[in-house]
Amino acid sequence: MEGPFAAPPDHPWSRVSPRLARMRRTELLVVGVPVVVVVTVVLALESVAAGITVAVAVVGVVALVAGWISIGRNLASWGYLERSDDLMVTHGALFKRLTVVPYGRMQLVDVEAGPVKRSFGLVSVKLHTAAATTDAKVCGLTPTVASELRDRLTELGEAHASGL
Amino acid sequence: MASDGPDHPTPAEPADETFRLHPLTPLALGGRILGALVVLTLFSLAGSKAGQGGGINVTTLAIYGGAAVLLVIRGVIMVAVTRYHLHGGELRIDSGLLAKQSKRVRLNRAQSVDVLQPLAARIFGLAEVKVTTAGTERSSVRLRYLSLPVAQSLRADLLSRSKGGEQGAPEAPERPVVSVPRGQLVRSVLLEMVSWRLLLLLVGPALAVSGHRNGHGAAAGVGVALILWFGLLVVTDIWRRISRLWDYTVTESPDGLRIRHGLLSTSRQTVPPGRIQAILIHQPVAWRLFGWAQVRMNVAGYAGNANSKSTMLLPVADLDYTMALVGWLLGGVDIAAVPLERPPRRAAARAPLWWRAQLAGSDEHVLVARHGLFSRTIDIVPHERTQSVRLTAGPWQRALGLATVHLDSTRGPVRTRAANRDQALARAMLDRQVERAHRARLRAWEPTVSPPR
Repeated sequence: MEGPFAAPPDHPWSRVSPRLARMRRTELLVVGVPVVVVVTVVLALESVAAGITVAVAVVGVVALVAGWISIGRNLASWGYLERSDDLMVTHGALFKRLTVVPYGRMQLVDVEAGPVKRSFGLVSVKLHTAAATTDAKVCGLTPTVASELRDRLTELGEAHASGL
Repeated sequence: MASDGPDHPTPAEPADETFRLHPLTPLALGGRILGALVVLTLFSLAGSKAGQGGGINVTTLAIYGGAAVLLVIRGVIMVAVTRYHLHGGELRIDSGLLAKQSKRVRLNRAQSVDVLQPLAARIFGLAEVKVTTAGTERSSVRLRYLSLPVAQSLRADLLSRSKGGEQGAPEAPERPVVSVPRGQLVRSVLLEMVSWRLLLLLVGPALAVSGHRNGHGAAAGVGVALILWFGLLVVTDIWRRISRLWDYTVTESPDGLRIRHGLLSTSRQTVPPGRIQAILIHQPVAWRLFGWAQVRMNVAGYAGNANSKSTMLLPVADLDYTMALVGWLLGGVDIAAVPLERPPRRAAARAPLWWRAQLAGSDEHVLVARHGLFSRTIDIVPHERTQSVRLTAGPWQRALGLATVHLDSTRGPVRTRAANRDQALARAMLDRQVERAHRARLRAWEPTVSPPR
């Protein structure tokens, strides 16, 4: 992780589960591949110029490969760090962001798990403050890690509570 | 924390009180619709006098009358089944005829207590008391309507209970802080219209003139219609602003800041001390010629109410005065003395002209960010009110070695960011901000409002 978005010295990021990438890649394959195949087949059957059909197929495949790679990069970009007074969260490979939420400012801690995420054994933990713009969500945690994190955060939040 | 030693007798718990809404409430609540129904009835009466078809008019009359009666009955039932209980530091509202509903508000969470008088209520001498609490949804409780004196004493009572004080406290004495002269208000509202939107106004006349010259009757007609339509929009907008901000007065009392304004519908708002999360000073472009500015604020729980008026703190004053006022509100900070820095020159590649206007800086108490090339805005966030801090950088920014620091505050007009900093400086700024906010929270998270200058 480079420069301004790096973890503080001597405090490495806690990383998220690689299952997150597996889930997203599965989604990509389940949705993306059929779309590319169907579009190519339809173009071929409609007797569009062969050049165009091939070009579309190539673009589709390139997009799939790019998606596959960027999912990996995105996974590597996630990181969180519990410090003494605040939680640091970073993510984003292209659009990088780093959020610092003081424990005393946390209003509530959400643990979210949709059906797809659950089937991959993943949940995400989201911190809410009184500000709607606070963007502190940690995706791709395993349920045990998530519930431990939630409990620690809730405890710390109570200990540091300072109202608004 | 009320730590009462044995030698300090506990102040008497505020007595419980139960009260109801004013019996005229249904009329005031249905004010607009009832008025419309009356007008419609008069029209149909006039129509029936004018001539034929009396039977139809009886039917329409019955419909209008029925609607009015239903509306009033609904209001009467609401008044009959709604009760308010004041119990210690809690306000409870019981309502509902069939499905009972009970809502509790902890008054020490109240962000502000307002007394509002919409025109319909004002005609009957009624007022609404609105208690806003911190929360994301359904965060305000409206008691409508009460008679004005009851509303005012209730507000004083609610405010003193919100601080754990005695009940029945008289209205706390207030000191004037500032009021906006009527002439300046009118001029400022007119000048605020001066912006790029004025160019839209030229479309109508241009169409009309060119259509007339070239003999396109239709185009000329559309042009004239546009002129009339825009004119109407502008006039109603100006009227709305002036009547809302008329006689704007800010006073200071131990309860907090009191803000009073309105020509037809009046509003009295009280913001308890320390509830202002962030402040901005805004100068529309034409105001800068006169050195005028307005002050708006973020107060938790306000923005969800969709009316931007409650975030206004002072609609117009001299820039120097607004800076002094904000400094005083934040407990003696000199806003003008906070050193501001602009982004590095290479930021011009991302923000061509306006990179020069993206200033930001902080001192021990506040972070200040100024932006806007023509209209200018100064955002001020006290460190102890910072919610969270973010650093962001898109691909283009990263290619230039830039990043943006955001300060998150509660929902409201103030959105603070130091855009396009040098990446290393941005990270240093983030770390420093986190550190300062932490220390500020430890110091005191409820600064007291000190007396004015």
